[in-house]
Parts: sequence; C-alpha cells; structure tokens
Amino acid sequence: MKKIKVSLESVRDEIKSFYDYKQWHLLTLNGLALAENKMEVQWIFSKYEAMDEIVVYYTEIENTETIPSIVDMIPSAIISQREIVDMFGVKVDGSEKGLYLDEDSMQRPLSGCSI
Amino acid sequence: MFTSFAKAFTNLFKKPQTIDYPLTPIVKDRDYRGLIGYGEEACIYCLKCEKACPPGAILFVPVENPPENKQNKKGLKYHYNPYLCIYCSECVRACPKPDEALWQSNKKPEVAVMDDRVNEGWFELEKLKKQND
Amino acid sequence: MKKTINIPLGSQHISLLEPVRFKFECENEKIISVDSDVGFVHRGIERACTTKFKFDAIGYVVARVCGLCAITHSLSYTAAIEKLLGGEITKKAKYLRILLLELDRVHSHMLCLSHTCENAGFEAMFMRIMGDRELVMEIQELLTGNRVQFDYINIGGVNRDISSEVAQKIVNNLYEVKQRVLGYMDEFTNNWSLSLKFKTIGALSLDDAYRLNAIGPLARASGLNIDVRNEIGYLPFSEVGFVMQTHSEGDINARNIVRLNEILNSILMCENILSGLPEGEIFTKLKGKPNGEAVVRFEAPRGELMYYVKGNGSAMLDRVRIKTPTFASIPAFSHIFVGENYADAPAILASFDPCLSCTAK
Ligand code: SF4
Ligand code: SF4
Repeated sequence: MKKIKVSLESVRDEIKSFYDYKQWHLLTLNGLALAENKMEVQWIFSKYEAMDEIVVYYTEIENTETIPSIVDMIPSAIISQREIVDMFGVKVDGSEKGLYLDEDSMQRPLSGCSI
Repeated sequence: MFTSFAKAFTNLFKKPQTIDYPLTPIVKDRDYRGLIGYGEEACIYCLKCEKACPPGAILFVPVENPPENKQNKKGLKYHYNPYLCIYCSECVRACPKPDEALWQSNKKPEVAVMDDRVNEGWFELEKLKKQND
Repeated sequence: MKKTINIPLGSQHISLLEPVRFKFECENEKIISVDSDVGFVHRGIERACTTKFKFDAIGYVVARVCGLCAITHSLSYTAAIEKLLGGEITKKAKYLRILLLELDRVHSHMLCLSHTCENAGFEAMFMRIMGDRELVMEIQELLTGNRVQFDYINIGGVNRDISSEVAQKIVNNLYEVKQRVLGYMDEFTNNWSLSLKFKTIGALSLDDAYRLNAIGPLARASGLNIDVRNEIGYLPFSEVGFVMQTHSEGDINARNIVRLNEILNSILMCENILSGLPEGEIFTKLKGKPNGEAVVRFEAPRGELMYYVKGNGSAMLDRVRIKTPTFASIPAFSHIFVGENYADAPAILASFDPCLSCTAK
C-alpha cells in the first residue's frame, strides 16, 4: 500500500494526472475521524491484474471544508462521495445527503464528535 | 428445452423436497452448533468464557446464596442467555476445562415467546454486572 | 405536457429479495434515467465495530453484514488483522478457508441463477436450482455447524477441523452438483424462452465496464479481467486450480454463463483442496494488538470486497471501512438500465445479483 499525501486544492489535479481508466480502478473513498473537528479523506485505487498494488491519496481537512468532487473523471465515485457526506457530515461538491440517513438528519455517525 | 419440459413434468409426481415440519422433526447433525451447556461443579470461575463471548451472552453476577464451589470466591453465579448467543463456541475454546465445565450441544433454544421477561430479566443482570465492575 | 412517466421499482417489489428503490423515468417503454436509493437496511455496523466490540470479536460482527457472503466478510477482516499482527497461519488453515470460500461462491451463484430465472418468468427452473442448492447448503452445515452463519474463521486459523467422513460427503455432493450444473449449462445456452429473455438484454460494453469501475461477474461478463483471486497473495488460489472466467458479450446471458463456469471452477478447486489437503494444525495463536493500517481485498461472489482497518495498539479499533461489491457497482447498474425496456428491469436487476444488506451495512 502506497500512501501519497496531497493538499485539498491539488487533489483533483493529482488524481487527474495519475488515473488511467484502463489500468486503475477506484476502490472507494474513505474517511477517518482524527480529532474533534478534523478528518482524513482517502481516495483508494487499485491496479488491474497486478499483485496487490494499492495507491492511497490522502489529505487532512477541517470538517467545515468542502471536498472537491472527482465524478467527472471517475463516474463511480459518486456513491462513495455520498456515503462520506452522510457518515461524516462534511460537504462534497455536488453530492447531497440521503444515501443512508434521512435528508434532514442531524446525525453524523462516524465523525469524531459524539452525536 | 424438451428435457426441461420432461423434467418439469416428472417433478409433478415426485415427493416434495421439504419435510412435513413440525410433524416430522428436523434431524440435526451431531456437530451442529447449538446451545451452550454448563457444568457448575467443574467450573473454576476463571471468567474466561465471559470475556471471550462476542455478544456478551454469558454473565457471572454475584448472588445471595451462590453455588457451593471452593473456587467461587466472589460468590458468582453463571447466567446464559440463549437468545443472545450466536453459537460461535468462542467460550468453549476459551474455557480451560472444555467438556466438563462448558460444552456445546446441538440443541436449539425454546421459542422465546413462552419465556417470561426474556429481555427485562437479562437487562437487570447486565445492570448488576456493570455496578460490580 | 410532460413526455415521461416515473415508475418506482421497490422498496418492496415482487422481484426483489431485499429492499432497494430504483426510480425509473420512462418514455413509453424505454427507461431514460435512473435514480437509486439503497439505504433501507442500514445498521451502522462500521460504527459498532469501533465503539462496541473488541477487535477479536469483530470477525463475528462483520459476518452479520450479509448472510450470503458472510464468510468473505469475516475472512477479509481476519486477513486484515493478521496482516497487522504480522503472523503467518498454517497451510492447512489456508486451504480450509479457500474450501469454504468456494463452497459459499457455489451456493451464492446458484441462488443468483435461480433468481434470474424466476424474474424471467421461469418458475420451474427456479425451483430446480433452489432444490439442488440444498446439496451445497448441507455440506456447508456439516463442515461448519450452521447453514448460514458459518462463524468458521478465527484470527489465526479456522475453528473446526474436517473429518474424513465430512470430506467424503463433500466430494459426493459436489459431484452431484457438478452434474446438475452441466445440465443448467445446456438449459441456459439452448433454451429458447430463456435466451429470449436474456440474450442482448442489459448489456455493458467493455469500455463502459472500465469507465464505471465495474467488478465481479458483471465486469468479467464484459471481458474485463478483474478477479481479486488473481491479484492477492494471502491465499494460494492459483495452487488449487483457479482459472479466471470471462465472456465478451456483457449481457444477462453472459453473466449467467460466467457464473456457471465459475461454479464449475469452484467445484474443481474444492476437489483439488480435498485431495491434497496438507497435514498440520488448523490454528496458530497470534499475540499482540493491531497497530497501523491495512487494506485487504477478497473476491466475494458478487465481486471485489475491500476492508480497511486502522488500529491504534489497543483492543478497540480506530476505523473499519467496508466496501462491498454491490455498493461499488451501483453506478454501473444505473448505467445499464438506461435504454432498456421497463419490462426487462426485474430480470436485469436479478442478473446483477444485488446484495442490499451488504450495501447498506
Ligand atoms: S457460543 Fe459464542 S455467543 Fe454463545 S455464549 Fe459462547 S461465546 Fe457467547
Ligand atoms: S471459562 Fe470455563 S472454567 Fe472458566 S468460568 Fe467459564 S465455564 Fe468456568
């Protein structure tokens, strides 16, 4: 597993230059609560037909920041982005709440702060 | 295609695959994972089973007149909730005296509706356990 | 005037095994856009794993994510913990793990095939496959002690050894299953009414499969070589005779054929395992507490399953992330529906083999 740290602003460019749709596929987006109002966002990719080659792009953000969407490059990211919105209560460009939780729910189960 | 017609037609005259439950009882294999049995005399009260149990279906709580056993220094009594148990047999693997103190049978639990206070009784035990920790 | 009508499929629908809702926007018979809602059975398992249970119990918790691929879930989680603890398990335990994994794949694919037949209106075939599936369920019960929740895999190995009678019974039953599956093969390729319902319907092109990151039998039916069994080294799949099964058409029929071929391949793998089962212990005790991050992938019957586990050196974990196969394929599902007839939607849906309790966790 290779971990690459990127900044929130540059993540779209980094992924754009890295992602070749015939070689890599997006496993998922992952969130990780670090402290009360901080979280780590990870974009996990794996390579087709290679022995366990996994690349993780990650960045640390405040819960109030908006995560840029990568749906225009990788259409299948939409579902993971919506999950992150639900579970951590953060904002992702163009992904609305309501995959698991109700649209008006106040909960954010996996973020660091208690509900 | 005609074979499938023929199969479907002959199936009309076959015996059903299902058994006539409850008139015919379900035969359980000898090694089927079922209820946990407990032998009070052999237990050494090490509480390993309680720690190992994932859902917390085994509780040792202090009672007024505990079972007679030299090892039982804290006056604990074994409680087992068959409706919480997932029959994983972690407890049996953790027990230093399997087969004597703790073992797994191949029986299913009774239907819970017949029992009195299935949940409330257990919640009280859990509360008691918390107080004593 | 509006030209389109909206038709919901689900959340309760006769063709669904589990609750999901698709909202189809249709123009006459044609579906032109799809919206999906999958969270009806969300149980908060990821959160429970980090707040309620110690790491050694979570293998049993995640097995409850899904009833059909319970074994893959507990296996992936266990493999992640074993990676963090840094132990090596015995060869026999590895073989027994593959054995159960492949048996699970056989019965899960059979369920899917019968369900596609049912949704295409072929009830008799549904009954036949479901009846034959009992042969597999029976040996799974003998091997593990339960029909559905196997609870067979433990951190460090497996829970039960296999006796020679059970091994014999497995061989006999699998032989029987193999004969039946060869029969279905004929049915699925030659039966006229089934091909009417399946051929050229719900097709996914290879390029779209790449673009939408399709996985599992769905992608393999379009010719995409993705099978995690080919891409991981913790279990010796290639040693026991794993061969990737692909097809080029990408339609419902292709998916069925891929599944049938996979059943045959899995049966072959089980037979190889049983004939060459190594001697030795089935359990190695691993000491310590998980610390660090691990990503583990496995091939569940429906595709790639991923676990991300982060430990901090204590008994409670920091994060357990489960990425289930159906969850990742939903964008591909939605894409396939567009342009198809509404009447075909149930059959297409069944051919994806969706597992919603996995998806919603
Ligand atoms: S079998 Fe499993 S769930 Fe049941 S009491 Fe033992 S450890 Fe607990
Ligand atoms: S593990 Fe065995 S000996 Fe120890 S308390 Fe439980 S039943 Fe008794």
